[in-house]
Amino acid sequence: MKNIWVILKREYLTRIKNKTFIIMTFLAPILITAFYGGAIYVATKGAEDNTQKTIYLSSNNALVQKIDRKFNNFEFINEPKISSGGTAVTDKINSDIEKGKVNGWLIISDQDLSNLDSTELIVKEAFSVNQKNTINEFLKSQITRQILKAKGISQSMLDSAQVKGGISMIEENESGEMENSSSELKSGVGFIMAFIIYFFIFMYGSMVMRSAMEEKTNRIVEVIISSVKPFQLMFGKILGVALVGLTQFFAWILLSLVFVLGIGKYLSSGIQMPQNMPQSGMNNQQAIKTLVDQNDLIGHLQSLPYAQIIVVFLLFFLGGYLLYSSLFAAIGAAVNQETDVQQFMLPVSLPLVFGLIIAQSVVFQAPNGHLAKVFSMIPLTSPVVMAVRVPFGISWSEIFTSAAILYATFFIMVWISAKIYRIGILMYGKKPTWKDFAKWIRQS
Amino acid sequence: MTFVNMSFIQVENVYKYFEDKCVSNNISLEIPEGEIFGLLGPNGAGKTTLIRMLATITTPDKGKIFLNNQPLNSNHSSMIGYMPEERGLYKKMSVVDQLLFFAELKGYTRTQAKQEVKFWMNKLDIVSWADKKMEELSKGMAQKIQFISTILHKPKFLILDEPFSGFDPVNADMVKDLIISLKNEGTTILFSTHRMDNIEELCDQLAIIHNGVKILDGKINTIRQQFFNHEYILEFMNNDLDNIETSNNQFNIIQAQINSFGRKEITFKLKENQSPQELYKQYSQSNTIIGFREKMPTIHQIFVNQVTSNS
Repeated sequence: MKNIWVILKREYLTRIKNKTFIIMTFLAPILITAFYGGAIYVATKGAEDNTQKTIYLSSNNALVQKIDRKFNNFEFINEPKISSGGTAVTDKINSDIEKGKVNGWLIISDQDLSNLDSTELIVKEAFSVNQKNTINEFLKSQITRQILKAKGISQSMLDSAQVKGGISMIEENESGEMENSSSELKSGVGFIMAFIIYFFIFMYGSMVMRSAMEEKTNRIVEVIISSVKPFQLMFGKILGVALVGLTQFFAWILLSLVFVLGIGKYLSSGIQMPQNMPQSGMNNQQAIKTLVDQNDLIGHLQSLPYAQIIVVFLLFFLGGYLLYSSLFAAIGAAVNQETDVQQFMLPVSLPLVFGLIIAQSVVFQAPNGHLAKVFSMIPLTSPVVMAVRVPFGISWSEIFTSAAILYATFFIMVWISAKIYRIGILMYGKKPTWKDFAKWIRQS
Repeated sequence: MTFVNMSFIQVENVYKYFEDKCVSNNISLEIPEGEIFGLLGPNGAGKTTLIRMLATITTPDKGKIFLNNQPLNSNHSSMIGYMPEERGLYKKMSVVDQLLFFAELKGYTRTQAKQEVKFWMNKLDIVSWADKKMEELSKGMAQKIQFISTILHKPKFLILDEPFSGFDPVNADMVKDLIISLKNEGTTILFSTHRMDNIEELCDQLAIIHNGVKILDGKINTIRQQFFNHEYILEFMNNDLDNIETSNNQFNIIQAQINSFGRKEITFKLKENQSPQELYKQYSQSNTIIGFREKMPTIHQIFVNQVTSNS
């Protein structure tokens, strides 16, 4: 036990005292804020294609001819009529598209308007998925309107039948109270947690790996394992680096709070501006809407299952790190140089990346679906998947089953990794293979 | 059968395999307390394998090792100091932190460790390096630190693998003196090297390992006696004695040369029935003899002879 402590202490202190660590601790919150701020800005503003798009419309159907010709930044104009007919029209259109005079050619099949499957949009430069979907939705609603109109329904009736807005979800909690539920907020909270776990595992897991590798390549390890058992060395190292990570993590939270509070103070001082200043921007209606949204947000925030979130985050954050870092430690002990690492890192880290993909796709669509549940039980993906699911509410029994599997796997993995570690750390020269790993596990 | 053995380290019929290759083949050794034991062998002979078992890094596949009559185990590590041939320390750590770390690993408390570190840094006159990082030190300086880290915890059993490599002659002598003083304090030392002169100078006993097998061991003097070839050297005052070589006499001359002092030196090999007295008598009658000694084989000669004849 004392040996583990000595190893842990060295690992922790040398890293905490390191200049790069100190700089990163202060710089990272700024960089991360800048990075996400930039990403969010681009996602909301910059990426949108606001250029005007002109599209030729081909259809002999009278109903189609009546649809609105302008919406958002799209404009539909009739295809050019050329008296000679035949292929001349097609050639003219194609050359217009080629020259960029128009952006596309929409050919609506005349046969059956109730199905747009055979409708084609011919373009030179592909439209985004969003733009394609927008056009699709627009056509559907316009054609529906025209069909209804043809059946004798008036414009005003159609307008009054127009349904707007979106549904809100209300969850009934265990005590029977109704709570506002926001899937978006939950997905956001879950995803942030999943990302922190993912990031932590990679960043500090590879720190464990490099540390094992440093001891091996600097030949320190032979002296150390004449004094401590390889298992103690590995375990002390994993725990030491975990503490480094936690230290940095809490420092970041603290610094972020300072930033947020600082910015908040700055903003609230901005609000003291005289009301009649025209530049203050917000009109009454907007201000009220923001206020309502904020109240909504607070309601949503209150509806999150905090106890579960905290338990899951801590359990899976630590469990995931322990499991992966024991794997990384074994890799670090086995290889002789940095360049050999990739070959082993990829297959080991793939499940984690896969977990994040699962988290993004399956979990957002069906947080309590079968697939989500299966990947919550697989220890290599569960840390990330559970983090995404927990804001939607999971049963305690599922949480503890998953955590039990994760920690049981960690103990088995540490035992296996220690074997690879023990032999790998003294093997110099040739680059190890997966076959060698298997042999080392059997050997000891 | 139980008996108390006076040896501090006992290796009994030890085998170690790597895959199918036998790298320690039935090796037995005894190292008496307070002696320096030389371990010799060509590269790849299995010295490091044996040393790693003695340093509790690995365990024998078969056979036993005893330290002070107890089966060797990892609890003994605080009694053992090990300096491997391939050395290294943490590059980013300061000299003091590094030494404290190793002392604590060997079971010292922080306070004890600090005292010892201070003592050794004063003794080797390196106090000014204390806060330097290892990467700022020269190779020789780093070797010194490594040596201190090996003996800091006053080990009862010291394993030194090529301890002089990387030291300049001045520092090598300093380490040599340290090794002798540790021996005088009762430390048992296993010493592996390719430098035969060091073995002759420092060791009481030696063993030669070749291809995983021990091919020779024993006290240095006994071994040299054993390989003594009944060769004697006569050194003459004047060097114009061609007649000695050419005259046909009863003694077999195997070498004649002028030594660095300008004297004639002739090496004779005696037959079973001849005595050194007869040799001396024969040549002292008409010549002035200024030196007469037996020609003992050097460890170097014995080593080369044994390794080549066992290959």
